[in-house]
Order: sequence, then structure tokens, then C-alpha cells
Amino acid sequence: MPAFLNPAALALAALSIPIILLYMLKLRRQDVPVSSTLLWQRLLRDRQANAPWQRLRSNLLLLLQLLILALLVLSLARPFFPTPAIASGNVVLLLDASASMQASDVAPSRFDAARRAARDVLSGLGANDTVTLIAVGPQPQVLASASSDRALLRRALDQAAPSDGIANWEAAFALAAAAASGESAQIVLLTDGAIPSRLPALPGQVRLVQFGRPGDNLGIVALAIREGRSGPQAFLRAINTGAAAAEVRVEFRADGALFDVRTLTIPAQGSANITLDDLPYNLTLLEARLDADDPLPLDDIAWAARSAAGSRRVLLVSPGNLFLERALGMLPGVELNRLAPGQPLPADPYDLIVFDGAPAELPAGNVWLIGAPPGASAVLTDTAITRVAVQDPLLRYVDWSSVHILRAWQVEPPAGARVLVEAAGHPLLYVAERPGGRLAVLTFDLHDSDLPLQIAFPILVANLTGWLLPPGGVGETAARPGAPVTIQPAPEADRVAVTTPAGQPFTLPVGENIPVFAETNRLGVYQITQIDADNNPLRTDYFTVNLFDAAESDIAPRESVWIGQTEVRTTPPERAGQLEIWPWLAAAALGVLAGEWWAFHEGGWGSTQNVKRRT
Amino acid sequence: MLLEPAFLVKLESLALAAHRPRAGQMQGERRSTKRGTSVEFADYRDYARGDDLRRVDWNIYARLERPYVKLFEEEEDLAVHVLLDGSGSMDWGDGEGETRGQGEGETRRQGNKEETNKWLYARRLAAALGVIALNGGDRLTITALSHSPSAIPHPQFAARGRGHTLRMLQWLAGLPAGGTTDLNASLRAYALQGSRAGLLLLLSDLFSPGGYLDGLTALAARGHEIAILHLLSPDEIEPPLEGDLRLLDVETGEPQEVSIDGSLRDLYRRRLASWQDEIRAACRARDARYIPLITDTPLEQAVLMELRQQGVVK
Repeated sequence: MPAFLNPAALALAALSIPIILLYMLKLRRQDVPVSSTLLWQRLLRDRQANAPWQRLRSNLLLLLQLLILALLVLSLARPFFPTPAIASGNVVLLLDASASMQASDVAPSRFDAARRAARDVLSGLGANDTVTLIAVGPQPQVLASASSDRALLRRALDQAAPSDGIANWEAAFALAAAAASGESAQIVLLTDGAIPSRLPALPGQVRLVQFGRPGDNLGIVALAIREGRSGPQAFLRAINTGAAAAEVRVEFRADGALFDVRTLTIPAQGSANITLDDLPYNLTLLEARLDADDPLPLDDIAWAARSAAGSRRVLLVSPGNLFLERALGMLPGVELNRLAPGQPLPADPYDLIVFDGAPAELPAGNVWLIGAPPGASAVLTDTAITRVAVQDPLLRYVDWSSVHILRAWQVEPPAGARVLVEAAGHPLLYVAERPGGRLAVLTFDLHDSDLPLQIAFPILVANLTGWLLPPGGVGETAARPGAPVTIQPAPEADRVAVTTPAGQPFTLPVGENIPVFAETNRLGVYQITQIDADNNPLRTDYFTVNLFDAAESDIAPRESVWIGQTEVRTTPPERAGQLEIWPWLAAAALGVLAGEWWAFHEGGWGSTQNVKRRT
Repeated sequence: MLLEPAFLVKLESLALAAHRPRAGQMQGERRSTKRGTSVEFADYRDYARGDDLRRVDWNIYARLERPYVKLFEEEEDLAVHVLLDGSGSMDWGDGEGETRGQGEGETRRQGNKEETNKWLYARRLAAALGVIALNGGDRLTITALSHSPSAIPHPQFAARGRGHTLRMLQWLAGLPAGGTTDLNASLRAYALQGSRAGLLLLLSDLFSPGGYLDGLTALAARGHEIAILHLLSPDEIEPPLEGDLRLLDVETGEPQEVSIDGSLRDLYRRRLASWQDEIRAACRARDARYIPLITDTPLEQAVLMELRQQGVVK
């Protein structure tokens, strides 16, 4: 039964009394003599029109007018049907689009259930209610902002899809707080409850609608390859969120071929590890799969990519320099080998050779020379630093002001060299491009200076090796879903082609900016191919996107979440929404009015005041 | 004058048509059921003792040696009964000012110059028929059925021979209409009167609360050859009424409340048509002729065409 927002308006129904009275008054019938009423009597007997209401019943116009009055009075009374609704007014819907929402414990999935609930919220809204719809994925997305357009909201809702990543609740809360500010808002969290604690409080009323059933889930939370002594090593960690220990088979595939199958026993609410030592030396891609039948298949599979230039091989030709060894060894991805001076260089190529002390001749490749280049003999003693190329990126964050140098070699820089630090017209540090590679020269012995004791030294080492080592490949070989991946192109690369796990190709131009690939929403292996201007592929690298989130793998829903200082519990949708129907009533009244007009003019109901004689 | 002289001349050539020969009372121009003295041969029959020897056909006797009597047609007069329904409902329709002053006279006259008054029309029709009957030497009886049939004898005019034409016309011109007529009772009474059976023409609107069928049956049983001339005025065919009205019956004064709209008018038309069909069927069952006439039909056309088509005059 509908209730009324403005029941007082029903009193206007009393207007029907004057209408009927006017009709009664008008119905004082005029006496008209006829030759005989015989036929009329028979006629009315046919119609059975002798009932007391005959005078009113036969009057269509009166009925229509009373109907119009009834409809108008009803619409003024604003009837509404109470509808079950979660929220109304200014609503902010936070739709959890994290990976755990893909769990299928609620058919077809938690995300679809949440979407359905969101749709229910929409249909329970009043005409003036507005909705802000935010999909909370790795990067929260505002699908609709303070809109009351139901069609737009429904469309936005239909297009929303769960991501493979985590939900960035903090960013989402910031968006929600912005949307809810100003007026009293209701914020509805449609989630399975994987919300971190210590979230900032939200303005307005927060309601939690929770999806999912407690269920056991096994998931891989880590898979990594590292360079061991006897080749690559793999490390895997899996967790079990169930209440019982689980035994699960783990399949490892190396570059697509089945490599090993292990059985892993994971205790309840615990984790277990596997370490694989005997991986192929030339391993590029490793895939691990849990043979588990659980609601969230997303985290049962993981990939790890080994960079082709997995580690940079750096050869240090030095009689022994602790500072240099430490500084080079600290660099990530650097495999440092040391060679005594005078010994022949090994045959396999190194990415960088660092000479601590002058060699007989400079080898091809990237070389960092500390000391005199071949041919230099004069010693410079006036070593007060006169010029520092502070604008040069190689000297960024390197402070030379407190560096003191005892003596340096007097060196003439080759043509085209970039002199970075100068003393009395002679370079202390310069870099140059050679046909065979890059060259950096520090013209003084580290032991003749307090540079190694400065904070500037490791920074300088990092800057220089960063410049000397051939760029290429990717910054990281593993990324989180949605996180941007920086690509380090080779100097000759013209563009970078990225193929997603779904096979979708992307092409990034290599310009002044470092190419960044951000379409990493899906889990899997991404292939990066660098292509030069002549369309020749230069090198191919891989990076992987894995969930690796214990919180997402733990799909057990939570009954309550803490937001600010408040514990928010699951809200059953009991709040009464109001579905007002007065626009329909008013439209019906308009329609009946049109019908009355038609009846008045076409139906021969006009001019009942006078009896007209037809000629 | 009820009839114009030119029309009277046209009526000279007409005669009332009776389809059944019947015995008359006086020598006339109608074939009789009796055998008689005219020159038209009718039949032979065996001679019987006492027959007039002058009627024996001697030629046959010579040939067959048996006496046969030759019969001839007898021509006698026809009794023509004209019954005028003089009830109040007949005094209706636009036309010559009538006695009923109910204040609605101006509405009844407006816009229509034609005289569609049923009573006037009925009297003019009766006059025309009477002239034809008198011209044909038939026995004419005109009776006005009005008022209470038992209390007052109906005004009646009876004559034979064209010498009475003027008197008949004067009598008709002074004939009033009014009151209530129980058509059934009046017709039954007329049937029982014992007057000679003949051609009976009933001029009425048949708006009789008591009905007319029993009377019609009684008349048919009496042996009359009946023709009903059903007179209706145009506003009875198409009532020019609209809206919420109280209809007053001019005959009975009985009120009837009615709200008239397009659909009800349609219903009225259908009801009228079915009523006429009822009458036509009832007439056919009693071997009577039914001739509906609308009073806006010119009298000449009614007599010279409609009645002739229906075989009432020839």
C-alpha cells in the first residue's frame, strides 16, 4: 500500500462535492413536450436506465472530471511506495574492484553481486538523489560523479569490471571524501571486506554491504628468481587462508615446459615455501601454478621473469680498493668480478670494466678509468677545484665542495669529451663517447683524495655506472597490477612494443621521456620488444604482473571494518526508500483532461444548456 | 380548404382498390361476389327448377340437349371505412395552429414553413381518400377515434355519392383532435359495430399506450380489408432533442426523464426502425397493408405515388 508524503492534500478531494453539486444543479431537466414518450420509454427500458444513478452515470464528462480531480489530489498528496534501499540522498558508492571480488563463492562472482546491489541502490533512489560511483581498484576510478541520471549510472555500472589488483582504499577514500563533502552524504562500501585498518574517517554516514562467504583459498604470495651460485634460484611462498591444512601440488614451468612438480603442505592460516635450485641456466620465464580448486583462481598462478641482462657484469681491475668494491657491490643488479692488474682480460664480455690504475691500453667496451689514461705522465698539483658542471645529470646530488685532492694526472681530454670537474684548466673528471663504448676518466687516484670518504662518492659511482652500463630492458621484472612499469630503452631504440598477456599490442615511442607502460591491470607475462628505426628488434625483455597480496588472497569476508575511530558493521538493506509516483498520476490527469476535451467536442456532449432544434 | 381544386381534379381519375370482391348492398361499380345482371359473363351452372328461363343458354341446350343457366357478374358498391386517430398525439408537428397552447408554440414553428402537423395531414389524406371513394360511388364512412371510446360515440360521417364531397370536406375541417385514445378498444368497438365489411383505412401514428394489435385482429376477423397508413412527423423520425430533458407526453402528460446524447439518438433511430418492422410484420400476419408516411411528404406525392404503389388506390 502506498503511503502519502502530503496526506493533507487528500482533503482537496472535498472539491468533488461542489463539482457534483454543480452537475446536480445543471441537471435540472428542461421540460420538453413530445408527441409521445412511448418510444422513449421502450428505449430506456432497453437501457435499464431507470436506476437512481442514471442521471450521473450517463454523464461521461462528470466522471472524467471527477477522475481528473482524483488524480490531481492523489498526485498532490505525493503517494510513494516504500522500497527496500540501502541509501538515499547524496550517495557515494564505493565499489570494490579488487582481485578478491572475482571470487566465485557468490555466483557468478562477488563483483557481479556487488554490481547488482549497486543497481538496487540506484533503483531505490528518489528523483533528486545523486550518486557518485567509484570503482576501487589499484587506481580508483570515478565512474560517475554526483549524477542523478539513472541511465548514465547504469551504463557506468555495466562498464565497471573488477581488476586483478588490490584495492587502493586510501585513494578511494580521498575521492569519496571529496564527493561527500558539503552536504550530508551516505557512503556505501560494496566490498568483501578486505579493507585495511587505520583508514581516515569519512564525512557522512558510512554503510557497509558485504559480499562473499567464508571460504578456503590457497594463493601464491611470492615467486621470485635470484641469481644463485649455481645458476638461477626460484623461491615460492603460498598461503592457506582456510581453517584446515591443505596439501597442494605446485607445477613449475620453465619457459613453457613443465619443469618440476612439488607437493606443498600448507598449514591452516599459514604459509609454506618452496625453493628451486636446479633451474636451467638460461631460464627466462618461470610459471608456478597451484593445483587447487578454490573460489579465487587468480592467485593460484604466478610468473617470474629473469631479466636477459639479469645482472650487469662488471669487472674491476684493481690491486684492491675497498671503497670502490663497496660502492660497486652496493649497486643493484651488478655482478662484480675482480681481477688483479696486469692479468689478461677474460674472454667473455663484461658490461663494464673499471680500471683502478692505468692499464696498458684501453679495451673496447664501456670503461671507467681511475688514474692516468695511457700516455699521461705529468702530475698536476694545483688541484683546487675551479669548475664543476653542476647542471650535468652525472653530477646530480654530488657535492664537490668539500672534496680535496692531493694530486692528479695532467690529462688532455679527447675531442668531444664532456669535462665535468676541472682544476686549473685541467680536467679532474670527464666522460666521452668512444666508438667501442663509453668512457669515464677520473684523473686522480682515489687514495690521493678524500672523495671516497664523502657521501658524494657512492652517488657518483651510481651515476657513472648508470651512464656507463648499456641501458635497456626494464626497470623491474615484476610489477603489481596497475602499477606503471618503466622501460629503459637502448640508445638506438626507436620505439618499444609491449604485448600484454591477452595478446594486445601497445607501441610506445621512445622520445625525450622515459617510456612508461601503465596498462598492467591484468596478471601475466608482458613482453617488451625494443625496435630500432629500421624495424629490427633489438632485444626482448619480460616483466610479470602478479597479485602477490596476502590480504587479497584471504577472501574470507569481514563482518566489520574500522574506518577512522568507528567500527562499521554490515548493513542489511532495510532502510525504506521512497518510490514516488506522482509524476505518473499527473501525467494520467493530463491524459484524462485531453480525453475529456475530446469527449466534449467529438462525443456530442457539448452544450447541454439549451435544447436545440435541428433544422 | 383541406384540398386544393387542382388536386381534386387529379383525384378524379383514381379509385380505391379492393382486392377481395365482396357483396354489396346497392348497385355500384364494384365486382360483387353475387351473380347478377351486368353484361359481364361469369359462369355456367346446371339449370334448376325455378330458374328464370330467360337465363337458360339455348345455344348450349341445342348442342348438348341439357339446360344450362348463364351467370353474369354483379357489380355493387364497396364499403369504405376511413378511421382517423384523433388522439392528442396526432395533433403534433409544425403547421396550422392547433388548439394546444402549451407555450411551446414558438419553438414548434421556428424555421419550418412546411406543415407537418399530423392531424392536419391525416384529415387532408382522409379527405383525398374520401373524395376518391365518393367519386367511385362507394359507401364512405369516416370515423374519428378520439376521447374515451365507451363514453362518447365517435364523430362519424357517412355518405355515398359525389354530391356529398363538399359536406365531407367541411366536416373534416371542423374535426378536433385531443384527448387520449385507446386504439385497441376503439378498433374493437368499431369491429363490433356491425357495419358492412369492406375496405378499412386506418390513419394513425399508433402511439397508443394500450397497443393496437387486438383491435387490428378484431377488424381483420370482421372481414375488413385493412390498410394502415402510419403517420409520423419528421421530428418523430429524427428527434431534435439533446441534453438532459424531461419529456412530457402531450397525450397523457406523462413525464419521462432522459439524457439524450448521440448514442441515445442512434438507439432511438434503431428502436423506431424495429418498431416499424414489428408493425409491418403484425400487418402481414393479418393480411393488412402497412404504409408508413412521413408528414413532410407532399400530399399529392403521398396519394398519387405512395398509396398507388402500395395498391390502395389505382
